Amino acid sequence: MHEVGVVQTASFDLGPLHIVFNPVTLIMTWIVIALILITFVWLSRKMRQVPGRRQAAVEMVMEMFDGLVKETIGKDSRRYLPLILTIFIFVLFSNWVGIVPFMQEPTKDLNTPLGLAVIVFFVTHFSGIKYNGLFRYIKSFFEPIPFLFPLNVVGEIGKFVSLFFRLFGNIFGGSVIIWVAYTMLMSSWWTSWILVVLGPFLAGFFGLFVGLIQAFVFMMLSMTYIAVAKNQ
Amino acid sequence: MNWTEIVTLLSAGIAMGLGAIGSGIGEGFAAGKAVEATSRQPGVSDKIMKTMLIGQAVAESTGIYSLVVALLLLFAAPKEAGLIKAMALLGAGFSMGLGAIGPGLGEGYAAGKGVEGIGRNPHEEGNIFRVMLIGQAVSESTGIYSLVVALLLIFVV
Repeated sequence: MHEVGVVQTASFDLGPLHIVFNPVTLIMTWIVIALILITFVWLSRKMRQVPGRRQAAVEMVMEMFDGLVKETIGKDSRRYLPLILTIFIFVLFSNWVGIVPFMQEPTKDLNTPLGLAVIVFFVTHFSGIKYNGLFRYIKSFFEPIPFLFPLNVVGEIGKFVSLFFRLFGNIFGGSVIIWVAYTMLMSSWWTSWILVVLGPFLAGFFGLFVGLIQAFVFMMLSMTYIAVAKNQ
Repeated sequence: MNWTEIVTLLSAGIAMGLGAIGSGIGEGFAAGKAVEATSRQPGVSDKIMKTMLIGQAVAESTGIYSLVVALLLLFAAPKEAGLIKAMALLGAGFSMGLGAIGPGLGEGYAAGKGVEGIGRNPHEEGNIFRVMLIGQAVSESTGIYSLVVALLLIFVV
């Protein structure tokens, strides 16, 4: 693994533009998308009226999320269900792909959570305008007293800053801890045996457990922000 | 050993030492409330145990941020730097160490109350769990800001 805390970037010039991109993150994001597609095409193959075992499992998950979104968002919940479910599945697969050796989580790069948070930000404020009208939406920033307007704007931005830094901080932190454990224990042959026990434990806790919790938290907070803006 | 390195070592100690306070007390509070709830409702001890463990894991995240900042200071921070950079590294340790106390305590408190609520009303487990998780995530925000400032001080300044 390369130096910790450094994101590999490549850049090229296109006319007056200087374009920088992160090849590792891009490739890993495409791998995650391919994994999601393969998994769900395989799970939903040969759909029947009376579901088989695979189809029943997916239907159970879908019904659970349908109920969750309906409970939180309320009216027109089906309009938001695809977005919410996509965020959850994408973040979950992104967090989990890091436990495979030589694979890096796309969410370890700050740009991936930032992109997701920007999507949620625009959906939130668009629904706020759509369901309340422009006037009531703008008025909500001047409540309860007009001179709290700057505070309300800062609070609104801070919500989304903490949303994407939470995901980034947890995944990045886990990968730093795993990196330090590996580089320190691999330095001599007799300490590298500790990794046989410690490696799976670290991958299980920071990869699977923290990944699941953070995917759920990211989804729940996105949904709550949308619901608050929509039903104010 | 030049004195940038000395400051880095001191800063790593401050970050982890102060950062362990909040999460420790908070998780202990959650564990105490779990014991209380189990003694009141022994039949739902598995639900209480599950909520306690997840609540504690979330309350531990600022402690994990402190560990990350301490490890970055030990292994990834520059060894030779001017006075301003050295002070920035010291500031990173203080930022994360002090910033981790509040969210650790607050999230642990929320986890404890969530466990207590399930002990009182086990049928509403799903709702209580959801409210607990969202509340913890929001109260973690200030800890995340500390982490961001600490990372900026280490890598950008």
